[in-house]
Amino acid sequence: MSASQFLENFLQALTAGLLTGAIYGLMCVGLSVIFGVMRVINFAHGDFMMLGMYVAYYAFGTLGLQAIFGASAGPYAAAVLAGPVIFVAGLLVHKLLVSRVTGMRGSALSAEGHYAQLILTLGIALILQNGGLYLFGSAPVSIPTPLASSAWELGPLLGDAVSIFINQGQTVAAIIAVGVVVAFVLFMGRSPLGKSLRAAADNPEAATYMGIDVSRAHRLAFGLGVAVTAIGGGLLASGSSFQPYVGLEYVIVMYAGVVLGGLGSVSGAFYGGLTIGLVQQLSTLFLPNQLQNTAIFVVFLAIVLLRPQGLFGKALRRT
Amino acid sequence: MLELQGLSAGYGGLPVLHDITLRVGAGDFAAIVGPNGAGKTTLFKAVSGIVQPTAGGIRFEGRDLLAIAPSSRPHLGIAHVPEGRQVFPSLTVRENLEMGARTPAGRAAWKDSLEKIHAWFPVLAQRAGAFAGSLSGGQQQMLAIARGLASAPKLLMLDEPSMGLAPAIADEIFERIVSIHGTAGLTILLVEQRVAEALHYASRGYVLETGRIALEGTHEELKSNDRIRQAYLGM
Amino acid sequence: MGHGIRRQALFIAAFGLVYALVVLFAHHSYYQLILTVVPIWAVMGLAWNILSGYSGFVSFGHAAFFGLGAYFVALAQIHWGLSPWIGIPCAGIVGGIAGLVVGIPTFRLRGHYFALAMLAYPLALLYVFEWLGYQELALPMQREAPLLHMQFTDHRIYAWLALALLVGAMLLTAWVERSRFGMSLIAIREDEAAAEAAGIRTVSWKLRAITLSGAMAGVAGGLYAVVLLVVTPPAVFGMLVSAQALIVAMFGGVGTVWGPVIGAVVLVPLSEVLHAQLGDVIPGIQGVVYGIAIVAVILLAPEGVFWKVRDLLRKRGIKAEASTGDPAAAVTASPVAEFPARKPRGKDEIVLEVANISKAFGGLQAVRDVGLSVRRGEILGIIGPNGAGKTTLFNLLNGFIRPDQGRVLLEGRDVGGLAPYEICAAGVGRTFQVVRPFRRMTVFDNVVVGAYVGAKSSQEAHDVARAAIKRAGLGRDALRTAGELTNKQLRLLEIARALAGRPKILLLDETLAGLGGAEVEEVIALVRQLAAEGITIVIIEHTMQAMVRLVDRFVVLNEGALLAQGQPAEITRNEAVIDAYLGRKWRVGNA
Repeated sequence: MSASQFLENFLQALTAGLLTGAIYGLMCVGLSVIFGVMRVINFAHGDFMMLGMYVAYYAFGTLGLQAIFGASAGPYAAAVLAGPVIFVAGLLVHKLLVSRVTGMRGSALSAEGHYAQLILTLGIALILQNGGLYLFGSAPVSIPTPLASSAWELGPLLGDAVSIFINQGQTVAAIIAVGVVVAFVLFMGRSPLGKSLRAAADNPEAATYMGIDVSRAHRLAFGLGVAVTAIGGGLLASGSSFQPYVGLEYVIVMYAGVVLGGLGSVSGAFYGGLTIGLVQQLSTLFLPNQLQNTAIFVVFLAIVLLRPQGLFGKALRRT
Repeated sequence: MLELQGLSAGYGGLPVLHDITLRVGAGDFAAIVGPNGAGKTTLFKAVSGIVQPTAGGIRFEGRDLLAIAPSSRPHLGIAHVPEGRQVFPSLTVRENLEMGARTPAGRAAWKDSLEKIHAWFPVLAQRAGAFAGSLSGGQQQMLAIARGLASAPKLLMLDEPSMGLAPAIADEIFERIVSIHGTAGLTILLVEQRVAEALHYASRGYVLETGRIALEGTHEELKSNDRIRQAYLGM
Repeated sequence: MGHGIRRQALFIAAFGLVYALVVLFAHHSYYQLILTVVPIWAVMGLAWNILSGYSGFVSFGHAAFFGLGAYFVALAQIHWGLSPWIGIPCAGIVGGIAGLVVGIPTFRLRGHYFALAMLAYPLALLYVFEWLGYQELALPMQREAPLLHMQFTDHRIYAWLALALLVGAMLLTAWVERSRFGMSLIAIREDEAAAEAAGIRTVSWKLRAITLSGAMAGVAGGLYAVVLLVVTPPAVFGMLVSAQALIVAMFGGVGTVWGPVIGAVVLVPLSEVLHAQLGDVIPGIQGVVYGIAIVAVILLAPEGVFWKVRDLLRKRGIKAEASTGDPAAAVTASPVAEFPARKPRGKDEIVLEVANISKAFGGLQAVRDVGLSVRRGEILGIIGPNGAGKTTLFNLLNGFIRPDQGRVLLEGRDVGGLAPYEICAAGVGRTFQVVRPFRRMTVFDNVVVGAYVGAKSSQEAHDVARAAIKRAGLGRDALRTAGELTNKQLRLLEIARALAGRPKILLLDETLAGLGGAEVEEVIALVRQLAAEGITIVIIEHTMQAMVRLVDRFVVLNEGALLAQGQPAEITRNEAVIDAYLGRKWRVGNA
């Protein structure tokens, strides 16, 4: 491989990494909100993402967003619509199931409470995955969009040697993802509701003394967390095919990103997801395609073992 | 203003409080003193609803508190400043105060109470934009009290405000509390392990031992009580 | 103890017999298959239980060991013609080694992080095996010598083989549970730091647990490959495999031999039958059933069927007995007892010497250049305001944290920087400011855990524990669960647990906190008694009135540094101490 060809491959992988990484970042933000506020690791997170993909899929086709917004804009409108739908689903799942083992009651149970939450969400994950198999079938589907197969050419650069292609569909998706992340970070940082969510995250007991209904805050965080990730899923749905078990493939991607960013840090999670996207794409330069995910696991394990507070996070300090 | 009637409470079946009856009148400055683990903090938590009583009742201004959700109790005018300060470390000083002012009364009086808070604790004005986690222990304690005051409460419950503070700073905080009690005219219920200080500042005291009220009286009565002198004042 | 194990073995044998008979009458090959996979998943559940059930480190990655076992048996037969009769035991070794290799780095993590890291191993292996081209590995038929290669035309033999494996796993688990191994794991689950302080080598026991656990999972995976004849990465490394191990154990009950067995016997046939009957109509029904089972268990009986049923039976039993109140609660205030005069022995022999020890957390200097020495048989009181560094000093002395600088000499030997269990073995016992008993163990078992450090055999540990319980005055409560004790009894339990390690020096952290007047006198009498018997005592306490009468000497800490030390009479008049700790009111009172 000549140097210029390697450079071209490298830049191509870098671009692809940044674009998918932005969407991963969005998905990680969702997982991180849930952990940050509730201290619960949501095992079913990938499966809520899967639900988001199918919501976008059916909204685009069956509900007719394709007809309303056209073939180019329709998939993105559908992806954004997945947000509110999954938000409501998240609220319900929290109210009916998760809330029974979390909140003030969960924190009193200490370590055992945490395991109960973890294992409960594992159960929810199995129901969603396999229930999805029944509802949606096992055949892979995707949302067709003309943008997914069109690209901008950047270059030729360095004389004629290097030119890279930027997928239009992925670019639009990445821009939307970044937009959602920015809006979400502003919401958490500036709005009174966001501040009370952070207060509930910092110290649920003291938050109660401020008149904050902690279990409502948890419900909201759970709904927002799965909704944000569902939008990420909806954005991915137009670029790649998926089936009901797709959540498993992404769940490790999300955990890796969140841990990388420091458990509980919302903006850290975005950078973590971005990094994971880059690792995944850049690993294709050196490794066979099938080992992309293994590369992520290795990075994930290395981070967890060497720097559990994350690359971007500071050590969690709870008073 | 606050009335506990035969209150018993505990954690996970382990009883901590037994048959507590006490009454705090409007405008009082009352102190609950006693050794570590006597149940003082549990008593506060029962009033705030974090701990469920197993028997007895709690009334605030005549209303049955147990029928009111824990997160709604602050809205009635009860501010609980918890043990160990428990400020929100990743929120700024200002945001911490905003959290305190989420109650209707706090929202209405926000400008006014912020001014008063800054007058009582000037350091909080200087460090308004700093993360609460970066404050010193004494400053965090001031912030915790100020956060309680920001809700414009009728009753301020202070759980061991001197905990982990150097005596000079603890004295400063006690004196500030006394002046707040004097100017704001609110009711204060103080829990303290430093019996001597607490009895010095408060007008009425309750001695809590192994979950029971062992003694009660005005601060003169308690300070001259032989058992108190021997057990707590080291005389 | 031996009696309990024999009874357990009898139950297990009875279960095996019944199951074997059921297999005998199963003629349909489909039911024979179900009867074969039930014990395999029960073994998987038991494997998970050995690690996660007893030690509390929840694993989401047991598929890694299962899959490695399955692939080892398949590949060894394909490439080397190795018979499963040898391959399956070897799969156990492979699983065990994998467990050890995974455990060494991963045990640096706790809680969520441990669970998440464990999840990554099987998924990483799944992709690696796909990449290696082992998408679908079929075990070759051996028509020449089928028996030699574990291939039977009568499929019931597989079920009996699986059953034999299960019975073996159950007996092993029953033995582990009652042995030092199991007790140490349970102590780690209940409170790892307290276990370490009580002399348990936690890292080593955890590694043994994951090795044994991995080996059991490897064997189960190996047999699974032989029974199903085909191995695919998702079938053996998939998430459902790890989940199934956890589910059968959680459903049946964690931390007992019977839990995983109950779980497998109920859930595996249920999901298999549903899958067979409805699989075409409702794809994924198996996973949904497992999912619902998990959710139901967590919401309705988070402790599992076995414990739920046992608690129900016990409750009925207790109601029938109608006990008449707790005699220990009837302690009433009694006049202050006069203590016998006690002379500090061997006045000049220094047991513990701390030299210029310092520790900072971030920017906070918690302990600053503290030096002190303790003489044999002495009672040394450490006082100072909250946050003065008293408990940090104890944590430095017993090895919970390493000093930034300075030395800790125990009988002249430098123990600074040793692990807590090593320091415990060297003769330092401690109690905690907030009591840390192993709540779900009995008083006796709590103290036995503390006794292992100096005992050569279990019998010796039991004898030492019995003596320590008697010394602490807990004889009547020996068989009660620690979770139901009063504050005073918990304080005594911690002292007994520390005594069982036969310490030379005992660090008591606010042992009198929260005790009533009469209770304080009782505990003080015990501490004096222990000191009179030659144990050196260092005690942190706030109750000055009690301390003044108890201790021989005071050390006063303030803001991490040594403020003063000396006889009680000097200290209570020391101006600096009054300013920093005792307070102005003290001066007013004494004036």
